[in-house]
Amino acid sequence: MADTRDGAAMALAVEGRGLTYRYRGGGGISAIDLFVPRGAVYALLGANGSGKTTTIRLLLGLLRPQAGTLRVLGHPDPARSGAGRRAVGALVEAPSLYPHLSGRRNLEVTARLLGVSRSKVDQVMAEVGLDGRDRDRKARDYSLGMKQRLGLAFALVGDPELLVLDEPGNGLDPAGMVQMRHMVAALARERGITVLLSSHLLGEVEHLATHVGIIESGGLRYQGRLGDLVPASGGQLEIASAEPALALARLGELAIPASAAGAGLIHIELPVDGCSDQVDRELLLRLVEAGVPFHAFHRRRVSLESRYFALTGRAGE
Amino acid sequence: MNSLLPSAWVAEAMKLRGTLALALAVFAPVLVVALFCAQMLLAPSPSVPPAGGEQAWLALIRGMLALWCFLMLPLYVTLQAALLANMEHANQQWKHLLALPVPRHQHFLAKGWALGLLSCLSAATLYVGVLLAGYVLPWIKPSLGIGGPPPWQALLGSIVAATAASALMAVLQMFIALRARSFTVAVGTGMAACVAGFLIGKSDRFGPLYPWTMPLHTVVQGGAQQWPLAAIGLSAAVLSGGALAYWLGRYPPE
Repeated sequence: MADTRDGAAMALAVEGRGLTYRYRGGGGISAIDLFVPRGAVYALLGANGSGKTTTIRLLLGLLRPQAGTLRVLGHPDPARSGAGRRAVGALVEAPSLYPHLSGRRNLEVTARLLGVSRSKVDQVMAEVGLDGRDRDRKARDYSLGMKQRLGLAFALVGDPELLVLDEPGNGLDPAGMVQMRHMVAALARERGITVLLSSHLLGEVEHLATHVGIIESGGLRYQGRLGDLVPASGGQLEIASAEPALALARLGELAIPASAAGAGLIHIELPVDGCSDQVDRELLLRLVEAGVPFHAFHRRRVSLESRYFALTGRAGE
Repeated sequence: MNSLLPSAWVAEAMKLRGTLALALAVFAPVLVVALFCAQMLLAPSPSVPPAGGEQAWLALIRGMLALWCFLMLPLYVTLQAALLANMEHANQQWKHLLALPVPRHQHFLAKGWALGLLSCLSAATLYVGVLLAGYVLPWIKPSLGIGGPPPWQALLGSIVAATAASALMAVLQMFIALRARSFTVAVGTGMAACVAGFLIGKSDRFGPLYPWTMPLHTVVQGGAQQWPLAAIGLSAAVLSGGALAYWLGRYPPE
């Protein structure tokens, strides 16, 4: 039994049980169980003030839990474990830069604190796309995207096993976000780094994460594989009909679950494990053969956004 | 050499490049020397000339050091401490620094070390400035009576003692600047402490032990108390600096 538990712990990069940190003025997190598997890209999703940054600060040892236990890469008490902290690279909120120093010099300061060689500095700067003249420009002259990339370089220069990124897409333009997403995905895929990121950009997360945790008002509402929350298949087929009542009646005769969505639209529920172009074709053929009146159709996937709002109850806000 | 120093100390020195701290370290003592020279040149010649070149040298040293220790040094330490702390406060560096695998108190000790280094740089500049003034002034105004070889050792002793005695003030000022996120609070506290020194410094009982006037008291009375005060200031700074760095490590600024 103990072996099984140890094995499970080894497979987790982050294991938090009953994590609690409440601020005096309100807010924080309460009794969160957080499990981040090694090698995963785990996205912590939540609105502003939901507790994402508090959770990240606890992971980094910037706050100490008022209750609960936390193991990061197998090390208990990340605030005190030098070895544990050495294996974690972090970008918390906006990158912390010295504006009067060049990008390279900024990274050298962090490298010096980590005891990392200067050659590694150049390597990491090239990795995040800050080479050539950009390296020697003052950080104050960097664009927001460049600052964010330099922040990522800070997190990477110590060769971390776990990368913690708090809102890495903040302030980036669409191209910058795509670039950041590709960089993070490559780190996880090619170097096996576990990534824990917080975000409220659901579309970005859907492209990047393997696991998600949905946090709301300091509590974790969901945690698990993205694929379990948002199946790749399934969803709805939406048809438009000039005679929706007749169409619904015919669908009922065919025992196909459907519901009126107003404005002549009807939503047909598709099976989670049986949705493909072939299934769509067969279904449409059945509708035509059965004389269901419709003149247009399209497939509606279950999105992370719809699941997020369903879990947090924020849809109407 | 770098590898002998804790990494946080070397990193602190790296951060100073391109800041006003280094310029201020040179400018502050140069300003004191320049102002004192201007005053000596513009004032009427002494009716009774000093008894010998060495006495005139000593009068010059005491005058410049008194101006330095009483007014410029406390303000200088206040500004430098606020500047060093603000490098981290202004850019929200603490969350980055404190998440690194470096013992937290090292970051705060490094700040104290940097402030000490800057004070030493100013002291060295002052040393050179006083000597230059002693050579140039008699050439412009011979009636000042400065002549002969400069009292190297007396000058060096006075500056070393004053700098050592200022260490406690530097530690306290650094702590305030690190703890208070506001630049105004850090500078305001230093200014208030400096103004209080105008009154407290006159007290024979409290003046020598008040951190903001302790350096001045190494200079007065012909420097009779300079080494005891230097020893008290330095040892109190080491003890309190270590304790405060440890405390800041446990309850760091956010």
